Amino acid sequence: MATVEERVKAVTARVLKLDPDEIKPEDSFTADLGAESVQSIELVAMFEEEFGIEMEEDAALSVETVGKAAEFIAQVCKEQGVVTDVS
Amino acid sequence: MNKAKKRHPLVDAKKPNLLEDTYPYSLPPLIRFEGPVVEYIDGKAVEFDFRAVKDRNILITDTTFRDGQQARPPYTIDQMVHIYDLMSRLGGPNGVIRQTEFFLYTKNDRETLDRCRALGHKYPECTGWIRALKGDFRLVKEAGLKETGVLTSCSDYHIFHKSKFRSRAECMDSYCEVVEAAFEAGVRPRCHLEDVTRADIDGFVLPFVDRLMEMSSQVPEKLSVKIRLCDTMGFGISYPGAELPRSIPKLIYKLNQECGVPSDRLEWHGHNDFHKVHTNAGTAWLYGCDVVNTTLFGFGERTGNPPLESAIFEYIALKGNLCGIETMAITELADYMRSIGLPIPENYPFVGRSFNTTRAGIHADGLRRDEQIYNIFDTEKLLDRPPRVAITDKSGTDGVVHWVNEFFGLKGEDRINKIKMHKLARWVIDQYDEHGRLTAISDQEVEAKVKELMPDYWEKYKGNQK
Repeated sequence: MATVEERVKAVTARVLKLDPDEIKPEDSFTADLGAESVQSIELVAMFEEEFGIEMEEDAALSVETVGKAAEFIAQVCKEQGVVTDVS
Repeated sequence: MNKAKKRHPLVDAKKPNLLEDTYPYSLPPLIRFEGPVVEYIDGKAVEFDFRAVKDRNILITDTTFRDGQQARPPYTIDQMVHIYDLMSRLGGPNGVIRQTEFFLYTKNDRETLDRCRALGHKYPECTGWIRALKGDFRLVKEAGLKETGVLTSCSDYHIFHKSKFRSRAECMDSYCEVVEAAFEAGVRPRCHLEDVTRADIDGFVLPFVDRLMEMSSQVPEKLSVKIRLCDTMGFGISYPGAELPRSIPKLIYKLNQECGVPSDRLEWHGHNDFHKVHTNAGTAWLYGCDVVNTTLFGFGERTGNPPLESAIFEYIALKGNLCGIETMAITELADYMRSIGLPIPENYPFVGRSFNTTRAGIHADGLRRDEQIYNIFDTEKLLDRPPRVAITDKSGTDGVVHWVNEFFGLKGEDRINKIKMHKLARWVIDQYDEHGRLTAISDQEVEAKVKELMPDYWEKYKGNQK
């Protein structure tokens, strides 16, 4: 089963039309991966869908990098009782 | 090129002068006058000081259920009672909307009147409307009304071609018999001088009004005749210097100052055939006629009447305060009218869906910086209608979020966040980036997309639409 970070990378690659292997945890969504305003929102929406969670808008949109997003989502999953490690 | 006659030096400033004495924002822009105006009447210069209007007891009356109803399928009794109730709230405890008139001919007419009066509102007072037939006073008396309008058409078009009188004298005698019958019934007659702006003023109107005033001097004041000046075809003109019978200033002056009809017994009833209806009503107020007759949203025979809601804002602008008027009821009335099938154009002032919607991207940007830049007054405070932004390529996701929440009337915690709108935001951006669109997206298009892309929210909130 994929980790949270791998799933975040997969969603990011799909939304931004990138190769998942080229995405690194330290990549900034906007500066490095080129996410525009609406794509940032699409990313958050797709993360919610992928993990079955609801994220607080401002907090979610203030996350800058892929690695931080994985941490943030893992925390939200924990708070909302969503199991992420099902291997 | 004309030679300049006066130099105008720049008055430099580091702080803006927003002219707040005239544009207080919390109220509609005030109408302020510098000094008297002059109208030449029969070769004499006559001064009118419009500043006096602030202290005069100017009023609004309504004919939504009479003239307004002549232009549409009948309202149900419940609808009229609800409209009357809202109208009472709008006019407030001081009775700025002083009267509204009812047909009395059918069982439904009379039941409507009874149910409106049963609400117990002091204002608008209920009055009647009948033909110039003596027998019709039975209806007025049975309804227990103190005042009724009586059709007393005064142009030769009506006297000879419509009513088929053989002479003006015969016509006048007939009208005066009806007025006499009103006095005998203890009902105040309000003579509706139909087609007055196409009448022979010196030859018929003034002699008729002289006679009405003479008759009125023989009865208690509460029965004395009121005069409604009916600009039946919208021919009235507000401009100084215009000739009779089209000149509103001269008409009012003649009746007021020559015939001696007190201002509080003079009423102006206009029609909008030449797009002059609201200004003509305001002109009547300024030149000495205390009462203007209106219909909600201007709905009336043919092109309609002075819109009641516009008269309300004119009243506030002239008086400089709300005078107990509850302006929010205008929006409620518009919502209700729409709900019962009365079409209100999108760009209709004060209540149309787009009346305070900014479309141009550069204006929208201004509106976002400071809503006063492109909003006529505090439309949220006075009408529960915050300014809106039409969706364009410049709107951004925030603009889309603003549009949807405004559309559904959602505030505070209830607002839908931008994450839930990502599909709609993407659709908007693709319109411009992918499809090369150059125009603003209409409300109807966005509405259809909200329904398609946000079906759950649509189902939940569709009843909230403004």
